[in-house]
Amino acid sequence: MKQIILLLLLLMAAPLHAGQKLLMVRVNMKAQQTMDVLKETVREYGYEVAHVQRCDGGMAKFHYKSDFYRVLFFGKLAEVRGILKAYPELAPFLPLKIAVIAEKNQTVLAAMDPTALARLYGHHPVLDVQFARWHSDLQAILEEMRTFRKPE
Amino acid sequence: MKRTLLALLFLLLPPSLWAAPDGKALYETHCSVCHQTEGKGGIGLPLTQEILEQLSDDYIAKTIRNGRPGRIMPSFYELSDAQVKAILQYIRGWSDKPAPVFPKVTLKGDPKRGKPLYMKHCKKCHGTDGSGEGSGTGVTLSREREFMVMPAALNNPGFQRSASDAMIADIIRRGRKIGHMPSFEGKLSEQQITDLVAFLRTLRPPPPIHGMKEWAGRPVYIMESPYGFKETVANLKEALTGANFRIFPTRYLEQGLADDFDVNKKQIGIRFCNFKELYHLLNIDPRLGTVLPCRINVIERNGKVILISPNVVEVARLFNNRELMEVAVVMEEIILDVMEEATL
Ligand code: HEC
Repeated sequence: MKQIILLLLLLMAAPLHAGQKLLMVRVNMKAQQTMDVLKETVREYGYEVAHVQRCDGGMAKFHYKSDFYRVLFFGKLAEVRGILKAYPELAPFLPLKIAVIAEKNQTVLAAMDPTALARLYGHHPVLDVQFARWHSDLQAILEEMRTFRKPE
Repeated sequence: MKRTLLALLFLLLPPSLWAAPDGKALYETHCSVCHQTEGKGGIGLPLTQEILEQLSDDYIAKTIRNGRPGRIMPSFYELSDAQVKAILQYIRGWSDKPAPVFPKVTLKGDPKRGKPLYMKHCKKCHGTDGSGEGSGTGVTLSREREFMVMPAALNNPGFQRSASDAMIADIIRRGRKIGHMPSFEGKLSEQQITDLVAFLRTLRPPPPIHGMKEWAGRPVYIMESPYGFKETVANLKEALTGANFRIFPTRYLEQGLADDFDVNKKQIGIRFCNFKELYHLLNIDPRLGTVLPCRINVIERNGKVILISPNVVEVARLFNNRELMEVAVVMEEIILDVMEEATL
């Protein structure tokens, strides 16, 4: 009996999207609108928007049709501060970011999966928990965006 | 009691583990980001009727499982058989033509006779070693739709494991409308087609790409500077300019999160970019925005000044894109040179 429960619990805990390295979703909205909703969603999860990087400035010159290619940076001050203090070698990956890429009337969102870093950081017990937390936030934010339906 | 408990636990399981899988939902979660809504094609190849009528269920299912190592398409080992089947059924719904079924026989051709045929008829598009010519794989997210479908990498282990001999022979005979592959019906005899397939089976993937041994498997490049904070920053900017990079305005790592007077001014990111290179890179993989622009951080901590950059080779590995790895290996050298110059 105990074994059955254990097995079931294990099954429940099994991550359904394990082994991903980039987290990506398609959103059924134009890019600017997607960016607005994304900012709101990120805030709902307790993050501050740090800034938006424009990558599309020079794109038109290079035959790109895409008029919108931006990256949203976001973080929690206390968290970023604490981590940089204890683990400055995490600096290149902070704050977190999500790329917002227009594809006609739809938009693709992409982010690096923080758990993909776990191996590189040698499965550090504290960092692993942090990566898992970021992973689940990013995953949840992206899932909300994917299923977002604009109010008519 | 036991039974109630079991039933309760069962109910607690995520629905994906007990309900019949929903093909549309699965497609939208796992595939549509690349293949677009209803398979119209994006960074992944189109999966429209014209394509689907030439692909067997077996090939599609195996492709989902195996992916295409080094060619963006991930492998979905974690999906159950029932889930793969549900995705397949959903995809098939876009086409009113039935799925082709090919015999599971190994065609017994002669690779030696197939080789000259390959060099004459296929090499131009699929490359001498079968790794597909031209940059990019499917359509890129933002590129003009006109130059979209790239020739398949025939030497890719994911393709080799997924495509049966009979299916490959059928594609050679009929060609492919999307991607402009011509039909060889009447131009090649059945024996010649069989020999060609035998030769394709001898194609091997190119060797894996590695970065510098010294930094392999490490998340970042990190160096200590013998100079003060300001001086190190100035050195770094000079070294970057010398390497033909454009430098963006400097940002504090906490900028936008902390108040101006509160922000830690001894933690900055120097962001840089080479626009010509950027164009090339985004053609190779439009998802690069997730790691751009390049950034080297300068941090003062306990009186020490350190330079830190992400390990671009390790980061590139996440994209499952061999072309990107090739660029990353070059970038690694440039970034390390710049960091060394700044700390010399
Ligand atoms: C990250 C982007 C990405 C995702 C996600 C993705 N694919 Fe792909 N897919 C590609 C690319 C790129 C190719 C072309 C690979 C090559 O170069 O041969 C491809 C190829 C294929 C092919 C072969 C098509 C042909 O003409 O031979 C099939 C079938 C396919 N994908 C189905 C799927 C399904 C089903 C899913 C979801 C379970 C999926 N893909 C998820 C990018 C993706």
